[in-house]
Amino acid sequence: MREVAIVGAGITTCKGRWVERTYYGLSQMAVKAALEDACIPVKDVDAVVYGIYNDIFELSAIPEHPLQGIVGMANKPGLRVTTGGATGAYAMLTGYSLIASGLYDVVMCLGVEKATDCFDFTSQTSTPEVIKTIGWSGDTFYERELGWTASDSYAEVVLAYMDEYPEDLEDGVSAKISEILCEQAQNNPYAQRYGERVTAEMAMNSRYVVYPFKLLETCVYTEGAGAVIFACKDKAKAICKNAGVPPIWVTGLGASNEHHVAGKDLRHKLMHRIMSDHLAAQAAYKMAGIKDPLKEIQVIELHDAFIKQLQITMAEMGFTELGRSDNLVKEGLMVPGGPLLVNPSGGLTYGGHFVGGSNMFSCWSARRELINRGLHRGLIHGTGSTIAQFGCVMIIERRS
Amino acid sequence: MGKEKVIPLHMIPDVGSEVVEVGNERFLQTNEAMFTFYKRTKGEHSPFFLALKERRIILGGRCPECKLVRVPPFELYCPECNFAELELIEMPDTGVMNSTPPITYFAHSLFQHQVPFGRGRVMLDGADTGLPIHVYTTKGVLTPRTFKKGTPVKIVFRDNRLGKPTDIFAVPLSELKAAQRKKKGLLESELDWATPKEPRLPKPTKKAKEALRSVIDQLQDLAARAAKSPRAQNDLAGWKRTVQVKTGGGPFFIEIARKRLKFQAGTAKKADFVMVVKDPKLFKDWINFKESLTNAIIAEKLWISKNVEFITVFKLDRIPRSIRRSKS
Repeated sequence: MREVAIVGAGITTCKGRWVERTYYGLSQMAVKAALEDACIPVKDVDAVVYGIYNDIFELSAIPEHPLQGIVGMANKPGLRVTTGGATGAYAMLTGYSLIASGLYDVVMCLGVEKATDCFDFTSQTSTPEVIKTIGWSGDTFYERELGWTASDSYAEVVLAYMDEYPEDLEDGVSAKISEILCEQAQNNPYAQRYGERVTAEMAMNSRYVVYPFKLLETCVYTEGAGAVIFACKDKAKAICKNAGVPPIWVTGLGASNEHHVAGKDLRHKLMHRIMSDHLAAQAAYKMAGIKDPLKEIQVIELHDAFIKQLQITMAEMGFTELGRSDNLVKEGLMVPGGPLLVNPSGGLTYGGHFVGGSNMFSCWSARRELINRGLHRGLIHGTGSTIAQFGCVMIIERRS
Repeated sequence: MGKEKVIPLHMIPDVGSEVVEVGNERFLQTNEAMFTFYKRTKGEHSPFFLALKERRIILGGRCPECKLVRVPPFELYCPECNFAELELIEMPDTGVMNSTPPITYFAHSLFQHQVPFGRGRVMLDGADTGLPIHVYTTKGVLTPRTFKKGTPVKIVFRDNRLGKPTDIFAVPLSELKAAQRKKKGLLESELDWATPKEPRLPKPTKKAKEALRSVIDQLQDLAARAAKSPRAQNDLAGWKRTVQVKTGGGPFFIEIARKRLKFQAGTAKKADFVMVVKDPKLFKDWINFKESLTNAIIAEKLWISKNVEFITVFKLDRIPRSIRRSKS
């Protein structure tokens, strides 16, 4: 396989509602920003991969079709990837593959999502309709009619984990992580909750959305877009030399989708595990030659749909042990000054969660940290679908 | 009353558009919908749903080679055994919770009438996969501690069944009499929903009685402010309930009628349902935004006798917020 590097990235401001822009406009904004970052014209891009999660959000069954021309990719290849919350990560896996295979030299991955155009006219608010829209993502024969939602689906996994490890996931720890993420979001001018201050106490006292998830420990709904440009080795070196930034190499990729039905062993979903994250991370580590992730990775941009899920995912990826995820705070693993910088963007809880492009947002942030702080290695993670079924992990490196 | 529609008519907005101003610019938005009607095939899932509807039994799919039993029978063939064809078998209607189920208190519009409901997975006796199912208790309000991993349960059938996943639900086996446990195809109407298990309170002390008096004073002040708040009146519109509240400081009752709230010490002549709370200070915290009644139910600090009356709690929870918003 050919080596692949990230040569540019751009995102829009994350907002709860973009009345001023449709997903067409948001896409153009992100693409323009990424091209300016890479200092290349769009004609130098060979193919585009779209990350768009949900047709209903965009009110179109082929939401990518109008984007092809307006992002300057007319008459070139383009395909859409959609894998629930992990859409962005899988779209970047696809973009990487198109280059590593030798098919194309420069590929752009564009993730975009509207969400809060969905509106519940009965309550005159968006949130119930957004939840309802995502509700079409569960099993439509056996689960949707039981009131399946993204929140109660991930709660199932977290509660099952708590059955096995009742001493872990203390409320005080997840509240502290919420505070840390909020503080970190203040270094990200594109963050949805830029300018806010949320303390651990506020997170602790916020209301339950679905037990055990509290409002200030749950990701936001966002409208926005993000674009990441990948290139083969030769092109990457030339582009980055011209732009005056180091290429950020993609050295590991892994993905895993579990069964959607709960069972007693790995032939089906083990409810108390997020094996998708575990297997995806293991595959990515193997490809990147990582033996001890805690010592070899400095920056993590993790898909924190819910903070207690962030904790389990960190354990599944080997940064702490299963049953001891509270060590992320208690042993200072991810507190400021600790060995790991987790979600410097503010994550999906405070930075933003425009589903199809959230992982591009994460990638944009991890790359930014490697470049600005001179760090060596980062990890980008995406999770999605019912009961954390889908997982995808990408390892990126800056070479000295 | 007309037949139920696949899209509730009250949810459908009028055709229209509006201008939203951001800064000095004007932007247009239009009322739209993405809708498609279906005659959806249940195909290979039909035997399972028809068995629920017509025979009050639960089917599983057993692989003749690896003997794995999948419930519901969600596939034709076993992918583990070169796609050997599964055989349908009748399953027992008892089992255990596969894990602690999540409880939904804030549902979107299509499910608001069901809250709070639990959506869990039951590992029926002899099954290798979990049956997705609603879980309920006949003994009061559902809380996150009602069901745990391993809680023994029985499947109960709705009296009116349509061949849907909601035709059945699970209740704790411990809430059933011996005859009910044994009965095949137990119906919802055969359950005892009328004798919830009320938490016991200690005899009120003098100090606790004084605390309650202070709380009732504050609640009466809240009622007066609610009467002046259009938002609060809107929250209470069309709702009539008498709620008997039993506290560690003695009883009081809440009357909701004609868009008004009334709080009074003592026992009501007749109540629609009962609330039990050890420390009446909860209501002070509620008024002062330190605690919602919903969170108190989740934390088992507040108990209500009827699960379906959570909707009344939900309405009450809005009142302090609505009064504050009416002021601003």
